Amino acid sequence: MSTAEKISTLLVANFGTDPLEIRPEVSLRHLCLDSLALEELRLIIEDRMGVDLDDVELTSRDTVGRLVDMVHRKAAA
Amino acid sequence: MTGRPYRPEPFAAAVTGIGMVTAAGVGAEATWRTVCEASTAPSVPHRPELHDLPCDFMYTIAGLDPRALLGVATARLMDRFSQLAVIAAREAVADAGLDPSVWDGGRVAVVIGSAHGGLPFYDEQHTTLTERGARRVSPKLAPLTVVNGAASSVATDLGALGPSQAVSTACSSGTVAIGTAHQMLRTGACDIVIAGGAESVCSRLLIASACQLKAVSTRRDDPEAACRPFDIHRDGFVVGEGAGLLVLERPEHALARGATVRAHIAGYGASSDAHSAVAPDPEGLGIERALRFALADARVAARDIGHVNAHGTSTVSNDLIEGTMLHRVLGEHPLVTSTKAMTGHTLGAAGGIEAALTVLALEHRLVPPTVNLDSPDPAIPVEVVRKEARPGTFDAAVKTSLGFGGHNAALVLTRA
Repeated sequence: MSTAEKISTLLVANFGTDPLEIRPEVSLRHLCLDSLALEELRLIIEDRMGVDLDDVELTSRDTVGRLVDMVHRKAAA
Repeated sequence: MTGRPYRPEPFAAAVTGIGMVTAAGVGAEATWRTVCEASTAPSVPHRPELHDLPCDFMYTIAGLDPRALLGVATARLMDRFSQLAVIAAREAVADAGLDPSVWDGGRVAVVIGSAHGGLPFYDEQHTTLTERGARRVSPKLAPLTVVNGAASSVATDLGALGPSQAVSTACSSGTVAIGTAHQMLRTGACDIVIAGGAESVCSRLLIASACQLKAVSTRRDDPEAACRPFDIHRDGFVVGEGAGLLVLERPEHALARGATVRAHIAGYGASSDAHSAVAPDPEGLGIERALRFALADARVAARDIGHVNAHGTSTVSNDLIEGTMLHRVLGEHPLVTSTKAMTGHTLGAAGGIEAALTVLALEHRLVPPTVNLDSPDPAIPVEVVRKEARPGTFDAAVKTSLGFGGHNAALVLTRA
């Protein structure tokens, strides 16, 4: 499963996000991920995907594509 | 008795909707049917996380999946006690025939009692903190576990834009919440209040403490028989989870919209024992004051009270003190019950659930039995209904509640 697919699965399961809405150009805010949800998402990704996102700055203005890219780079590091 | 009750003009709040989710059933009618018809308690499961405690069982709501009922996106922003409150609130509002998409939200208030809020999540996250470190602690702990979480969740879910607040007076929280709502309506601060209690405390930490306190039953070999209010062999309460909410309205508001009024909250009284952090006043003088205040507030005479849904926790001291007090104030005639053997002691939710059951008792003129009351304690002088539900001709009923810390509350409810 690709990083994008893994993140999509986590968003659907944990945040009830509509899978059809999860596209690279869509902002996290559009997916109703506020500051609380982003911190929760950070923990979930770290736990499930074994990456450390402590130094990653994540805001609701970021897109799904940027999130996937950041996680992918951390996983590859 | 000390204290002179404040006696404003009489005011009866209309009960136009009820919602319940309990171990006895999901929904008010399901709960009522089980409470009236079942001869034994629902399954009271042993909990693996409590396996080494003297009390390892509690009443839980079997098969309830809040994520499925509310949706993942909504449910994830609520602790379980808030989820139960929202489920009960949606039922109560629908029962009242209210449509939140068109109501004047600024005139709708929410008052929900809870003793412990999101304590189980605290318990779980403390383990995370000690075992995995601060960076693994959930950011949701602080905003979701606050005692006002149920009130804010219900207000958000329904679009109630008036005042919303929590009441926390331990095991009388739900009753005090309804009394507070009664007072808010009386002052005209709002037209509608969604009021009651919600609790879910499957917490190893809390049950360990309750065991140390020797407040809970240790009947591990027969959990379904452990909660036995007013029985000579009672040995403590059994914790349960649940929520019970009423929709209360100013009577003219209910009348104007043609609502069906199910009952009235006619009077409310509250008092403090100022005696102990745990034990009730040994003579029951505090709960007596609350009950007398409620009767005076309702302008209902003791002889006209036909039914009492008692606090009846199944502890040795509560049932004796409360039963003796009820006899002293009301006499021998009221049909008394405790429904906790069917729901467990839901702590801050108990007053909400039991007030809703009292509304149904008034409607049906039927008093649910006190399950597990096999050998009535001869020292308790009141008439406790047991074995099966008993019909009566009463038009007024009482709900009493006592909380750790000496918080007493009583409601007088009357038939519509």
